[in-house]
Amino acid sequence: MKTSALKQIIFLLVFIILLSVNGLFSQTKDPDVILNSVKEAFTVIEDYEVDVHIKIDVEFLKVPEGDAKLYFKQPNKIHVESEKFALLPKQGLDFSPLALLDDKYTAIYEGDTTINGIQTCVVKIIPIGSDSDVILSTLWIDQTRDLIMKVESSRKPTGTYTIEFTYEKYQDKYDLPSLMHFSFTVDRMRLPKGMGGQLEAENGKAKEKTGPVIGNVYLNYSNYIVNQNLPDDLFDGPKKEGIKEENK
Amino acid sequence: MNSEEKIIEVSDLTKDFKEVKAVDSLSLNVIRGDVFGFLGPNGAGKSTTIRLLLTLIKPGAGTIKIFNKHLISERKSILKDVGAIIENPDFYMYLSAFKNLEILNRISGREIGSKRIMETLEIVGLSERADSKVKTYSHGMKQRLGIAQALLHDPELIILDEPTTGLDPQGMKEIRDLITFLCKEKNKTIFLSSHILSEVEQVANRMIIINKGKKIVEGNVRDLLNASDLKVSVEVLEIENAEQLIRQSQWADKLISRNEHTMIFNIQTDEIANLNKYLVENNFSVTAIVPTKSLETYFLKITEEAV
Amino acid sequence: MIRPLVQIELYKIFKKWRTYIGFIAIGGLVIIIETAMLFEGQKSLDFMTRNLRDSFAFFGNLLNGFLISYLILNMLAVHIPFLITLVAGDLLAGEATAGTYRILLTRPVSRFQVVWSKFLAGNIYTLSLVIWLGIVSLGIGAIMFGFGELIVIGKDSIIILDRADVLWRFLFAYAFAALGMSVVCSLAFFFSSLVENAIGPIIATMSVIIVFIIISAINIEIFRTIRPYLFTNYILSWRLLFDTPVDTAKIVEAVIILLGHIVVLFGITAIIFKRKDILS
Repeated sequence: MKTSALKQIIFLLVFIILLSVNGLFSQTKDPDVILNSVKEAFTVIEDYEVDVHIKIDVEFLKVPEGDAKLYFKQPNKIHVESEKFALLPKQGLDFSPLALLDDKYTAIYEGDTTINGIQTCVVKIIPIGSDSDVILSTLWIDQTRDLIMKVESSRKPTGTYTIEFTYEKYQDKYDLPSLMHFSFTVDRMRLPKGMGGQLEAENGKAKEKTGPVIGNVYLNYSNYIVNQNLPDDLFDGPKKEGIKEENK
Repeated sequence: MNSEEKIIEVSDLTKDFKEVKAVDSLSLNVIRGDVFGFLGPNGAGKSTTIRLLLTLIKPGAGTIKIFNKHLISERKSILKDVGAIIENPDFYMYLSAFKNLEILNRISGREIGSKRIMETLEIVGLSERADSKVKTYSHGMKQRLGIAQALLHDPELIILDEPTTGLDPQGMKEIRDLITFLCKEKNKTIFLSSHILSEVEQVANRMIIINKGKKIVEGNVRDLLNASDLKVSVEVLEIENAEQLIRQSQWADKLISRNEHTMIFNIQTDEIANLNKYLVENNFSVTAIVPTKSLETYFLKITEEAV
Repeated sequence: MIRPLVQIELYKIFKKWRTYIGFIAIGGLVIIIETAMLFEGQKSLDFMTRNLRDSFAFFGNLLNGFLISYLILNMLAVHIPFLITLVAGDLLAGEATAGTYRILLTRPVSRFQVVWSKFLAGNIYTLSLVIWLGIVSLGIGAIMFGFGELIVIGKDSIIILDRADVLWRFLFAYAFAALGMSVVCSLAFFFSSLVENAIGPIIATMSVIIVFIIISAINIEIFRTIRPYLFTNYILSWRLLFDTPVDTAKIVEAVIILLGHIVVLFGITAIIFKRKDILS
């Protein structure tokens, strides 16, 4: 009796896991294998320099489209140079498979789906340990090119963001994003009084809008220069107000 | 009759300030070449009349013609030929005398060069202080600058409102000489307002006395001040009874007026003794008999009343 | 005749010490504000943008001459009117106090010419004060901070304007501000025609402005109804120029309302002045 009950429980558990992860009839893949090949594919890129065209679409934020130069170095060093003032999404700009997969995590394969006509497999990543801000990330991976097509990541204080990638091949060997579409929630500004002054009083009748809105940012990448061996000190240069600083 | 050309012609001029009649049906004529004395005690309505002549205030009734033109409709062309001092000589204190005159010159309707400005300052003896700010000026200097601005554009008619106020005797004499000079040598017509009879007496050929906005007397200065027209003020005790007696006597038609202590008679010098005798015989105590020129008496009286 | 009269009025205005109080005050105020911003500006800018910083990384310099000039222009509602009334309130009343009406108005110039030239001169002073404000705030801003993109933080929106897209907005904003200040000048000028001392118009004008601003600030139904009729409500409408797209219709409306105020105030002043008995 006892052993058959145990067997039944194990069977049930396996069934549930299979059901929840893959669906009963889908082909089961090893998520770690998938992730490792993504990682592997990305390691050929040591660093790059790229021109970014930024387009921000947030309801309450009117920002002209801008350009910046972005420097990247493995695993997730970012340096941005911009002649003009530039806003870049804080979350996910430093996204890199290596960094994401650097810490300990548990990966779960969730099945396949199609994004923009490209077959992808969905892998969920749950970091282990409490020092990570990331609660859960979901990756949509194009296995034929070992590229991440989409990331959805939930972080502790700031909520969920997604990034969708479009890739192009540079120098016939590097698959690098030509377009990144960020989508995330932004809190409306709650501004200190006195900045507004009389003009707003005029519009006082309008209901005050509150609560978070969805923000979209489109980054167009062009003119990649890959693996030119960027010096490390470029990334702790005078432009302190970068991602590093912000993340502290 | 060119010699009788009327420069100022005021008829039935009236101006009320709330309840007070400042000018009351005043009529007067100023003839070309006149030094016209405009006499009256303080508050008689002299300044109001002058302000009316210069369009600073608007008349309630009556008409003003200057140079035979209606003041209201031809204000600008009239004012081109009028120079005036009105009451205290006030200027832009933060500017120099020269600059003040330069400003006024630019809107005088007659562009006169800075040479003329300096000449005018010379006439009034201020050329050496031309570049000092007016706030550093004494009252007398300001008064002289006031005359300078009135003369600046070489006007035909010069209206002077109490021009000697605050001047020392020497300064007063200079003004008198200047008025005579302007009239005789420069053929200007001068409208001279004053509350001091002697001042007018010395320079004016014709004059008017006003009180409480009304004309009292008008005429040639010489006629008005004629020695034969003597007025005698008699100071008597029990004046009511004395007046009663006089009214019933042969002196009745010679009595002009009576106030608290004195009766004023219009009699000849040789009649003074008889009048005295008559009063004494009727047991009245005559305490004083003062013969004066009638105008002076009269003028002193109303001046005292006004004070 | 108007030209020499205006020149004379300007000459008198700029020969008075009080005229320079405005220029000195604005210059000093701008230097103080810009210096304070040099030390504290980043902190307050961070505070103002703290929500945005949760989602975005900032690259580049937002604390720049444009931002500070924008903030300084906000002083316009209260501080600069005071400086304008100092001169505009004196234009007519000052002549009455000094007794100089008597020498001015007995010249062959019409009363209308006098009042019109004084009005023009007062407005030229007002305009020069606003231009001065623009020159010092943008000039010192450029020296101390340089220029960059302008962040405009509204009640429920944030606008960042490309630096190349800002200067024309400032030019129009200063022009608009000058128009608003011209209403203040006209109001002080109007009060100046009523009395014979210069303090009265200054106090009266400032009282009107402060009362209007208080009414604008209190959110009571009845105040909300009268708010559109208060000119102070439109003085800060230059801010509309820093929106994208610019709400031209609203700006035109504000311009018309302000011009209307100027015309009416001057009209009344001119009538009063023409009829006035000069007794001073």
